Amino acid sequence: MLDVETKLMPRGVRRCAPRQFLLWVLPWCALLVFGLYGAGLCLVKGLNQTNMDNRFAFGLWIFLDLTVIALGAGAFFTGFLLYILKKSELKAVINSAVVIGFICYSGAVAALLVDIGQPLRFWFTFWHPNVHSMLTEVTFCITCYLTVLSIEYVPIILKNRKLRQIPSFFVFEFELHKLMPVLAGVGTFLSFFHQGSLGGLYGVLRGRPFAFREGFAIWPSTFFLFILSAAAAGPAFIVITTWLVSKISRKPLVRPEVLRLLGRISGILLLPYILLKCLDTLVWINNTAPARGFAAHEFYARKPFGVWILFAEIVIFGLLPALILLRRRMRESAGWLVFASALVCGGIALNRFVMTVQTLALPTLPFDPFLSYSPSWQEVATFLAVIAYGVLTYSLSFRYLTLFPQEKDLSC
Amino acid sequence: MLGHIIFLGLFFAVLLVISASLALSLFRSVWDFRTRRAETIAWHATFPDLPARERVCRHEFTGEFERRTCGRAFDCRECQTHAALAAKRAPGAAPPAHEADVLGLEFPLDRSYHRGHTWAFPEPDGTVTVGLDALGARLVAEPEAIELPGVGTHLETNGTAWHMHKRGANVRILSPLDGEVVATGGPGDGWYLKVKPDGGKLDDRHLLRGAEIRPWITREMERLQAALAPAGQAVSLADGGVPVDNIAAAYPDADWDAVCAEIFLEA
Repeated sequence: MLDVETKLMPRGVRRCAPRQFLLWVLPWCALLVFGLYGAGLCLVKGLNQTNMDNRFAFGLWIFLDLTVIALGAGAFFTGFLLYILKKSELKAVINSAVVIGFICYSGAVAALLVDIGQPLRFWFTFWHPNVHSMLTEVTFCITCYLTVLSIEYVPIILKNRKLRQIPSFFVFEFELHKLMPVLAGVGTFLSFFHQGSLGGLYGVLRGRPFAFREGFAIWPSTFFLFILSAAAAGPAFIVITTWLVSKISRKPLVRPEVLRLLGRISGILLLPYILLKCLDTLVWINNTAPARGFAAHEFYARKPFGVWILFAEIVIFGLLPALILLRRRMRESAGWLVFASALVCGGIALNRFVMTVQTLALPTLPFDPFLSYSPSWQEVATFLAVIAYGVLTYSLSFRYLTLFPQEKDLSC
Repeated sequence: MLGHIIFLGLFFAVLLVISASLALSLFRSVWDFRTRRAETIAWHATFPDLPARERVCRHEFTGEFERRTCGRAFDCRECQTHAALAAKRAPGAAPPAHEADVLGLEFPLDRSYHRGHTWAFPEPDGTVTVGLDALGARLVAEPEAIELPGVGTHLETNGTAWHMHKRGANVRILSPLDGEVVATGGPGDGWYLKVKPDGGKLDDRHLLRGAEIRPWITREMERLQAALAPAGQAVSLADGGVPVDNIAAAYPDADWDAVCAEIFLEA
């Protein structure tokens, strides 16, 4: 039995003993089961199991969706850089990026299915699309992109040591791999639009002056800011995950230059994002918000959403990591690189939290109260189930598939 | 209305591209099997997955390059760099010796060697005899089973020639030439296959010979010692002596599947 398990692992790399692996996955499995129970309750009994209501319709799940979709952008952006712009150094992390992208998007879709409810009617959105809603575009693009990611995942699975002994799998994998540039192009196109539409979704909320933004043609400024921020966060998240897996497995997985390159790409994209974000905030403070009858400082008058949150988002989680990642000397230090990448990922999560939770918490009419929301245990359980699913899928992929082609070279 | 058409049109165009990509891959896969390209594809798909140390260009052995990775999956027949360098070599550069003794391993210089540790010897009757070289033979000494192709089977260069089972490892041996199997032998015969080469003559431009053998085998021995080193320990290279006849027996704790994969170029 043990021998069969060993023969499923990639050759030339070392993995922990099965017993140790079992001890690692068991708590995550327990968390997954607990989360599925919570999600099941929501699906069977309805959304009354959550603490959301008609006023606070977006909560923990939408925050999770927006964050993981932004962090999963590393898959499309790495694919774009590798297959379209021919940055061959990124071959070292593309498999891991695809798996992360797949986990993020499938996790987001699963959470959305619970959030929307009525899972048996999931096809309504495709058959009766509301073409005036940005959510329709988001649904279409995410579904298509998840299909693309699944197709990109297939060659990685088919290269498993045992599966590659089947000639038809091998040949299909080879032919599918030849079409990766096409799929990478489609993925980039889809990601560009759905990342943007997720931002646009908030920017068009005329009744929510905290989120409403002017823009270009039909797209509010948040459309472009979401694209740029996701493109910056994706590579940073790959740096974080690669570093974490390397630390947990106690093995070098990629050459340091690859992580430095990802850090640099993240820094290059983060700086213009921060500048545009500052510009957007200034326009909003001076024009957009006053035009709708609000002074911008009113939005930050209620605790805990003080001005500190804007400062943290722009300076601590934006400007600071951008400057670190753009300095070669700092990038060359693994500590600084990981610290800055963690700040970028934290910044993205904070931005999506602000857009989701703060937007809905703030009153929009004089008689509106300031709303507070804390998720129910079922919501938290579903959230944790997505995390557990991600960890388990990645752990199994790392154990049985070749996620880091350089690992073999570096292990000698 | 126009917005509807553009939006849904783009969506269906994307779906069409995804479906067409899948269908094209399936169609090409079926076509590859029909045109007997599966073996060549298997090698071309394996080669990039080999560690960089296994993909070293043959001209690095001879010092013509300080560092170079092969980009043609060891098929020098279409490599312009190899053609140019081979043309530069003096006609009299071939070594006069009939046999090279490399670290106690015998490598007759009357034949050509494949990077996957097989040799090809052109016979006067036009057939080519194929066997395992001295290092390969010591790695799979006394195999538990051998799966040879039947007479009439067509072999592809770098495709599978035959399989050998040794201590739990299913070792795939690569073919050094294109051709049809006309006879089969075994370890006791000193050769494994007799092949009628395509085109009537052995095209050995991708095979190693002469002065390339010694540096190649020296490097292979280093790789072997690295593969045999216990996990987590620094590699100690031998500074003398000759390899034993049955290397597997001398290393009972080694992961033989990994060792054979390293030397016989399996990912």
